Order: sequence, then structure tokens, then C-alpha cells
Amino acid sequence: MSSNSGLESTIDQVLERNSSEFSQSLKNSLTDAQKTLSDSLPMLEEEYEKIIADGKKEADKIEKQIIGSADLQSRNKTLLIVQESTDKVLEKAKEKISNMDRNSEYSSLIAKLLTEATSALNTSDVIVFTNSKDKDVVQSAVSNISGAELSNDTIDCMGGVKVTSKDGSMSFDNTIDARIELLKPLIRKDIAAQFNLGNN
Amino acid sequence: MVAQGKIVWISGPAVKADGMADAKMYETVSVGESKLIGEVIRLTGDVAFIQVYESTSGLKPGEPVVGTGDPLSVFLGPGIIGQIYDGIQRPLKDLAAKSGSFIGRGITTTPVDMTKEYHFNPTVAVGDEIEAGNIIGTVPESSLIEHKILVPPDHQGGKITKIVSEGDYNLDTEIATVEKDGQTSTLMMWHKWPVRQPRPYLKRYDPTVPLLTGQRVIDTFFPLAKGGTGSIPGAFGTGKTVTLHQIAKWADSQVVVYIGCGERGNEMTEVLVEFPELKDPRTGKPLMDRTVLVANTSNMPVAAREASIYTGVTIAEYYRDMGYDVVLVADSTSRWAEALREMSGRLEEMPAEEGYPSYLASRLAEFYERAGRVQAKGSPERDGSVSLVGAVSPSGGDFTEPVTTHTMRFIKTFWALDASLAYSRHYPSINWMNSYSGYLADIAKWWSENISKDWLDIRSQTYGILQREDTLKEIVKLLGPEALPDEEKLILEVARMIKIGILQQNSFDDVDTYCSPEKQFKLMKLQVDFYNKGQQALKDGASLADIRSMNVISLLLKARMDVKDDEMPKLDKIETDMIEQFNSVTGVKVEN
Amino acid sequence: MSNQGGVQYSKIAEIKGPLVIVDGVDNAAFDELVEIETTEGERRLGKVLEVGNGKAVVQVFEGTTGLSVSGTNAKFVGKVMEMPVSEQVLGRVFDGLGRAKDGLPEPVADSFLDINGAPMNPEQREYPKDFIQTGVSVIDGMLTLVRGQKLPIFSGSGMSHNILAAQIARQAAIIGTDDSFAVVFAAIGVQYSEAEYFKRSLEESGALKRSVLFLNLADDPAIERIITPRVALTVAEYLAYDLGMHVLVILTDMTNYAEALREISAAREEVPGRKGYPGYLYTDLSTIYERAGRLKGKKGSVTQVPILTMPSDDITHPIPDLTGYITEGQLVLGRDLFRQGVYPPINILMSLSRIMKDGIGEGSTRADHQEISNQNYDAYSRAQEVRALAGIVGKAGLTPVDLNYMNFGDEFEKKFLTQAIDENRTIEETLGLQWNCVSKLPKNELTKVKDKYVDQYYKE
Repeated sequence: MSSNSGLESTIDQVLERNSSEFSQSLKNSLTDAQKTLSDSLPMLEEEYEKIIADGKKEADKIEKQIIGSADLQSRNKTLLIVQESTDKVLEKAKEKISNMDRNSEYSSLIAKLLTEATSALNTSDVIVFTNSKDKDVVQSAVSNISGAELSNDTIDCMGGVKVTSKDGSMSFDNTIDARIELLKPLIRKDIAAQFNLGNN
Repeated sequence: MVAQGKIVWISGPAVKADGMADAKMYETVSVGESKLIGEVIRLTGDVAFIQVYESTSGLKPGEPVVGTGDPLSVFLGPGIIGQIYDGIQRPLKDLAAKSGSFIGRGITTTPVDMTKEYHFNPTVAVGDEIEAGNIIGTVPESSLIEHKILVPPDHQGGKITKIVSEGDYNLDTEIATVEKDGQTSTLMMWHKWPVRQPRPYLKRYDPTVPLLTGQRVIDTFFPLAKGGTGSIPGAFGTGKTVTLHQIAKWADSQVVVYIGCGERGNEMTEVLVEFPELKDPRTGKPLMDRTVLVANTSNMPVAAREASIYTGVTIAEYYRDMGYDVVLVADSTSRWAEALREMSGRLEEMPAEEGYPSYLASRLAEFYERAGRVQAKGSPERDGSVSLVGAVSPSGGDFTEPVTTHTMRFIKTFWALDASLAYSRHYPSINWMNSYSGYLADIAKWWSENISKDWLDIRSQTYGILQREDTLKEIVKLLGPEALPDEEKLILEVARMIKIGILQQNSFDDVDTYCSPEKQFKLMKLQVDFYNKGQQALKDGASLADIRSMNVISLLLKARMDVKDDEMPKLDKIETDMIEQFNSVTGVKVEN
Repeated sequence: MSNQGGVQYSKIAEIKGPLVIVDGVDNAAFDELVEIETTEGERRLGKVLEVGNGKAVVQVFEGTTGLSVSGTNAKFVGKVMEMPVSEQVLGRVFDGLGRAKDGLPEPVADSFLDINGAPMNPEQREYPKDFIQTGVSVIDGMLTLVRGQKLPIFSGSGMSHNILAAQIARQAAIIGTDDSFAVVFAAIGVQYSEAEYFKRSLEESGALKRSVLFLNLADDPAIERIITPRVALTVAEYLAYDLGMHVLVILTDMTNYAEALREISAAREEVPGRKGYPGYLYTDLSTIYERAGRLKGKKGSVTQVPILTMPSDDITHPIPDLTGYITEGQLVLGRDLFRQGVYPPINILMSLSRIMKDGIGEGSTRADHQEISNQNYDAYSRAQEVRALAGIVGKAGLTPVDLNYMNFGDEFEKKFLTQAIDENRTIEETLGLQWNCVSKLPKNELTKVKDKYVDQYYKE
């Protein structure tokens, strides 16, 4: 018995020690597991939030992009309309000018265009070009300027003159086409104002 | 007969006009229909070569050029102080009133408001004999400057036949008439003087009085004398402008002329914003009340940049002639040299080094020669000085380029700015091994008489430590600091302390920005004492580690910021602490 | 201009490099705009560089390729080159000469402005002092950008300067205001992909509608590059001073600009300055950079971030050198940091923001800002010395304090300097990170910071 009881107590002791060791290690792994869990939770949350945030960032980006480009698109549409209208207005104006009566008012305009050109060239020794329609009007203006000659060749334009020095080294384009080209930006500005597209 | 010609050729700021046989060299002319201001810089037959001080954009051949008969001159009289001028003495405020935020062209103004009344107080009476340079009266110009009204240096003199009594007069008033040999001339409160001609004086003195700037590395190590010349070369980012601003702010002169020559616009704005706010440490009055600014920023026409230096130095000489000490700061002479180069290129002159004209050196010499401490012409007897400080902006930070090398020939104090010091935020980044001052011996007497007779000795010891460190640094680079014996390690340690505690100076710190000569000396003395006591302590068996851990070190390093100029006893306290702490590391018993 | 222009001359005396010399000219002005017409009827633009004695030297922006002495006409337009401006330029893309490049009609102009601008009167300048938060720590913390400043990026070929500039453009904001703000981007001889990256970046942040792009790409005419920054700045000035906007101008790459200038100078046979660049390079660059600023009585501002690539990373090369003398500081990208993969690879020791001191501190950022930044500079400079020393004597030869500085250096580069391309840090975060860095050092090493700040922010 005694040996038995000794054995038992020894076994008990071993068991006890082992079980306490066992429970200890159990406990440890539990806390470890819990720690891992609680450690990883915020990480998970962080990850989760990051995914959400990234998504949000992306969404923000796309939203901004859409709004930005929508604004631009509408503005650009208006711009195209302005351009179209400008072209139309100019077309009409050109038509009007081409069909305009070659009256005395027109003659004085031609005379003015001619003097402007010769003064810019700083010589009146010039050859003058114009279209076939204006030949007569221009001829009479040219005859008032000594040294100036009207060319037999005609140029393709709505009206007005192109003046070249006799040696051919200088020329001055004072056709109505050229003048309109200069005015174009101002005409566009006026039209745009009607579309409320100027600086509002 | 004034010259009246026509433009025949234009290229940037350079214009040629023919029909100019009546023009004189350096005559001011009006160019083109928009009446731009120009100056004749070469005459060949009847063709005049003109540098135009305004943008020539849109100018055409055939437009008229009309001479004025006068060389480029500045107006000298009350109202100059506190102004900001462009390179040809047009007030920038007036230009703004006429053309808005951006500088227009062909604008004429008067350098000062001619209608403003000044309180004139005559110092001569009818019947007095006067001669060129005499003071005939005074006018309070600003809170700091009493403007002396001078007889023009080229006046023939004579007897006063009429002079106004004390009272308020505007600048159009004739204040006196003078008669000589039956000829009568009138005097105003102002006169004009051609900028390219130095104003005459009676005699010149040796510079023996230091120009104190409150900057330790300048005053203590590389001083400038009143009437001396100094140059401050440095690559960009080395703090050149900050250092120049510091000199302009704190130099103990009565008048400061600051020339922004081809530099940044915002820097001039900074001066304009700061100076009226800052108080002169000696008088407590706003610094602007002693300052004149000449601003020709880099994007303003290049020819006016060339003129700005002369405009500035002529104004400086004028105040010198009143008996004032004047400092002129020119930032930057390199941009001025570049303007010379550009005009020379357009003139198709034969270039010397790097495209600069061959007369670069002589022009620099002429400029720096206008510095000096002099006895002014006329009576009463008075002394004044013009000290010149020129910044140099060497391309690529290379000190062997022409402007730096030529400048070094004509100046006596050289403050070499060092990019590597600036990179490690050691400001002012004046390299103590490459800089020099030719005035040290001359002004040592002043320090010994006014601050301490030990000054020269202590300075030499301090500088000696820095020199030793410079050689030791080479060894450390190869072998590391542990290879040195303790007494040499102490040299490194004290050199580091000198760098942080003396050489470095924080211009943005309210206390540190200006350091009185007394404080400069005391700080230096403390460092030398520390060094000597340290070496002794090592001999007495103290360990270097003990010395290094003394908390007095941190006090010494921060004293420049912690101790105000009027708190000198605090430095004595540091000294007592230091003695105590050394005693404790060497184990000496302190008796109570 | 006094006389009307419009005369066309056909006597071409000489064509050399980008220059056309026209003969028999008696009605042309210096700086006047010229239209060159080729035999094929193609039109190119140019301007008068020199005029007199019957000759005009014309610089052709689109190059002289294909021009012939006979059959080429030069029309002197009678005005200097102008840029049409209005609010309509926002959201548009132009070529290097300011002509629409996005397939849309030209914007409706409100006024036409001389592209050369006029020098700002220094007396009329408002000193820059409003802090711009870029969200990039190293800039906000240590190299602060201020409204109206000109702060270039000095880079080298292949480095991340454009990515950084785009990040600044996307993120730049003034804290606590909702002032309208615009970006003007000028590509000067850069590759298509770089310009496209920038455009996309603005698009994605929704900033395109308040941006204006000027594109002179690598394969566009080189001489046009003389004009590109000027048209861009003309638009910027208009937006700033006429419309009251705060404009950030990015010019990339100024090295290409300077090279175009050199080409013209060489063709004119001028005496060269350093490395063949003309002697007036400094003055010429200043007419671009000095167009940044603020003006008294005007609401807007022009802030410039020019970018230049330093030939062989050499900061003493005339282009970075002269730029640095004009601009208010510089952000220098370091090859070493770039190789280590650090973004943004800013070498703080070589970098500087001159007007930082006026834009920071109490009331705008935080009272300790200047001091903590000084301390970081100081410490990083020490750290670099220690690293060099460690390379010689090994880590074992270092003192404990030295090791602290090594740790500081690592923390600084990894946590403070490094940041993601889309990471937008607040100034508080930035300052916090600066304190984290110096907290790697013992307290008594902090000689640049007042004790009260150490007590408040130092992390034990």
C-alpha cells in the first residue's frame, strides 16, 4: 500500500504538475491567441478602412473628374456655337460686301485704302491689284496717284486693293478680306457677349 | 546747340542715331517719339551710339533723337532720404502713380517733390565770403539727418549779397545770391552733379576707425574701416543678400545707400517693408530715416542697371560732403559688370575674358576708388566717409572668374561666402579661412582704446584655435577623431563652440541680430578662457568627457541669443559658473 | 506702336539658323511681330531682333526649315506679339505660341496683351507671406512655398521632378481660404508622355477646368520655346491681376528654353559667355522669373515653380547657376536619394526657400516651425557628417551621440522625407514628424529650439 500510495502520490504529483503546466500552457496559448486576435483586429479594421478610403479616394477622383469635364464640355459647346455664329455672321457680311453697290461711298473707301497702302510702303511707285469687279473704281483712284499703276492681273478678293512696289520687294495687302481678318477677334467678342460667354 | 538726329539702327538697349554731330559723350538724350531716356556712350563721325534706359520695344528707325546738353546727373538736395529710386533717380513711387503696378516708358518725374517746403536755417550772412563746398544753411530732412545745404563743388565762390532768413521754403526758391568779380549767381537748396564724375574733397585720411556692423564675424574677425572697401562674393544661396541687409541695417554710419543692382524685386520690397519698422540701435529712430534705396531689379532695363551704381555712389559722396559717415551697399556688382558686357557686345568691342570688356578692371577700380574717409571741401571743417561694400555673384561660385578676381585687386576686406557652410546652415556663411581684412592692424588701436587693451591678443588666440582646427580636421577625415590626443580633441571641441557661439549669428533672432562690440569681445574672451582652463584641467588630470559634459558649454553656446546687449552681468555669471565647474572637474575644493 | 504695320517684304538677304535677314526694310520696329510666308503659302511667326540701315533681323519661332531666299515673304504686323486672354482660356490647351491645340476654336479674347509683360515696379510689390500647403512634408516643413514666390526644382535627367510638380499642382492649397486658384502649365520641349502625365493628373483631380496648358513638345520647333514661357506668364498675370486668381505656374523644362536662346545667340554670332550661353542669359531669365509676385491693391498672385534639369547634375552649370541667383530659393533633387528609391528625393541641405521665414510661424503655421526646421537641418547635416565618418572608421568608431545622429538620419529619410505620390499631409502632421525625428536625439542636442518648445513637443 505504502508503496502503492507512494506511487499514487508520485503519479498525482506528476499529474498535478503536468496539469498545472498543461493548464498554464493552455492559458498562455489562450492569451496568445487572444492577443493575436486583438492585435489583428485593428489591423483588419485598418485594412478595411484603407480599402474603403482607397475606394472613396477613387470615387472622389472620378466624381471630380466627371464634374470638371462636364463643366468644360458645356463651356466648349457654347464656344463651338459662338464659332459657328461668327462664321455665319462673317459669311453674311462678306456676301453683303461683295454685292454692295460700287457707289461714291465705295470709291472713297477705295481711295482711302489706297493711300493707306502707299503711305505704309513709303512710296507711290506702286502696282495696284484688285478683283475684276472693282477694276473701274480702283482705276479712277489710282489715276490720282502719280507713279501708281493698276495691274492687268486681277486677284481673288471681295474688294479693296493689294499694293506692291514696282521692284516687287514690298507689298501691302489692303483688301477687304485682310481688313475683316483683322477685325475677326472683335466680331467674335461681340457675338460671344450675346451668348453670355464673355467675362461674366 | 542741342543735337537733333534720327534713329538708324536698334538692337535691344542699344540704338544708333545719325545727325548727332553736336552731341557730347555721356550726354543724356531723348530717344524716339515716346521720349525714352538714353545716354551717348560712343561718337563716331555724326553717328552716336546710345544706351537706352528703358525698353526699346516698338522703336523704329527714323524716329527722332534729341540731346539735352547735360551729362547724366543726379539731383542733390533735401528729400532724398527715405526714397526708392530707379537707376536714373526716378522715384519708383512717382512712376507707380503715373503708370501703375508695372513700369511704363517715357515717364518724366522730378527726383524729389519740388513743392514740399523745408525749414531752412541759414548759417551765413550777407557779406560773408563763401567758396565751393561751404555750408550755407541747414534743413532738417528726417528724424536722423540734418541736411547741410552746400555750395556746389564747382561753384566759383564769392560774397553773399542776399540770403533768405530762417523759414519754410520749397525747392524752387532761390535762397542766396553770390557776387564775384561783378558776376552774380544764385544758390538753391540743391544742385546737380554728373554721376560719372567723383565729387571733389580736400584731403584723404587713412582708415583707422572700424565700421561696426554688429556682426561678430565681420567686426571681430574681418573688420571694415570707415571709408574702406569690402567685397562679399558668394554663390547663390550662401546668404549674400541677408548679410548685406544686416550691414545696411546695423552699420554705425549715419547714412546708408542701398543699391539693388540687377537683383530680385522682392528683396527691395523686403527692405521697403522692414526698414521703416526697424529701429536704429543707437538712436531708436526708424532705419528708413537714414536710408536711400536705388533699385534696378534684374528685369528692369539693363542700361539703367549700369547707371544705378554711379547714381548711388554720387548720392553717397554728397552726404559724405556734409560730414556724414555713409555706407554704400551694392548688390550686385556682377550684374553691373554684366550690363557693361552686354553694352560692350552690342558695340562690337573686342572682348577680354568671358566676354567682359577689357575696361572692366578700370571701371571697377574707379568705382572702389570713390570710397574714402576725407576732409570735405569748404568750411566749416568737417570729415565724412564713404565705405563701399560690393556683392559679387561669381558664376558657378567660382572665385577665379573675372569680376571676382578684378574686384579682389581693389578692395581690402574680403568676406568669402562658402556654399558648404550654407548647406550646413552655418550663417553668415563667411569662410574664416579664406576671408581677410587689410584693416585689422589699423583699427586694432580703436578696439584697444575703446573696448579692451587685450582685444588683439584675444582675437589672435581665438583665430589661432580655428586655424589649428583646420589642420586637425584633415587628420580626422583620414583617421577619425579618436586618433587624436585629448588636448587636440579639446581644440576641436572649442573650435566647434566658437563656430556655434560666435561665428554663427542668427539675423532673424531679435537679440542675436545685432551684437555690441562689448558683447563681441566678452563672448570671445569666455571661449578663450574656456580653452585655456580646459587645457590646464587636462594637465591636472581631468578627463575630456568631464569637460565635455559641463553644462556651462550650453550656456556659452546660447549666450549670443540669451544675453541682451544691456545684460552683460549675465556673461560674468557664466564666467563664474565656468570657473566653478572647472574646479569641480579637476577636484579642487571650492571654499565657501 | 506708333506706325501701323502690315507691309510685306520679299527681299530676303540671308537665312541663317533660326534667323531671316530681310532687306530693303524701312518700316519695321524693334521687337515687332513678323509673319513669314513660305513659297507654299505656309505661315510662320517671328519677331524683329535688330533693325536699321534697311535691314531687319527676324527670329523665326517655327524654324527656317524649308524657307528659301526667293519666294519667302515677311510681313511686319505692326505690333509686338500678343496673347489673347479672357477667363475662357481656363481648361484649354494651347501650343507653344499660344494657339489653340485642343481642336476647339480660339478662345474669345477679352484683351490682347504683350507677351513680354512689363517689369513690376518693386515699390508696388506686396511682400509674399501667405503659406501654401503643398501636402509634401519636406516642402511644407523645411522649404515652405509662399504665394508669389518663385521656387524652382533643380533636377537631373530621369528624376521625379514632374511627378513632384504635378503633386504640388494637385495639392497646393491655402489653409482657411477658398480663394479661386488656377494652374498654368507650360511644357517647354518635354516629351509627350510627360506633358500627358501632367494633364491626366490635373484631370483626375478635377483641376483641369481651372488650368491652362501650353505645350511645346520635344518634336515641336525649338525656337518656339523662347515664346512658350512668356505666353504662359502673360495668361498667368491676366488671371492673377485682372481676375484676382491665385495662379501656380509650372515651367518645365527651362534648360530647353536656355538652349533655344543659345541657338539664336550663336546664329547672331554674339560673343558667348560661359559654355556658349549668351552673356545676357541672366537678364533674359530674369524677365521670366521676375514675373512672379504679388501686387499692392490686387487680389491675385503668380507663384512660379520652374523646373530645370541640370546638365550632368552639375549645379554650377550656367542654367541652374543663373536661375538660382534670380529665384527665391531652390528645391534640389538628389541623385543618391533618387537611386535609393526615396520620393520626393529632395536634398534638403542644398535646397532653400528664401522667403519661408515670412510665411510661417505663429498665426500662419505654428510658432515652433522655424526653429524645429532649423534643428532638423542642423541634425541632418550632422547625420551626413557622421555617415561619412562611419564610412571610414566603421560604426564601432562612433560615439553614442554620433549613433543618435545616424538614427536621426534614417528616421528623417524614411518617415519624414518619404511619402506617397498621392499622400497629402497637413502641416500639423508634418511638424509632428519633424519632432519625431529630433526626438531620436538626446534633449541637450537641441540647441536651435527654445526650451519651451522642447518641453511641449519632444517625445521621450
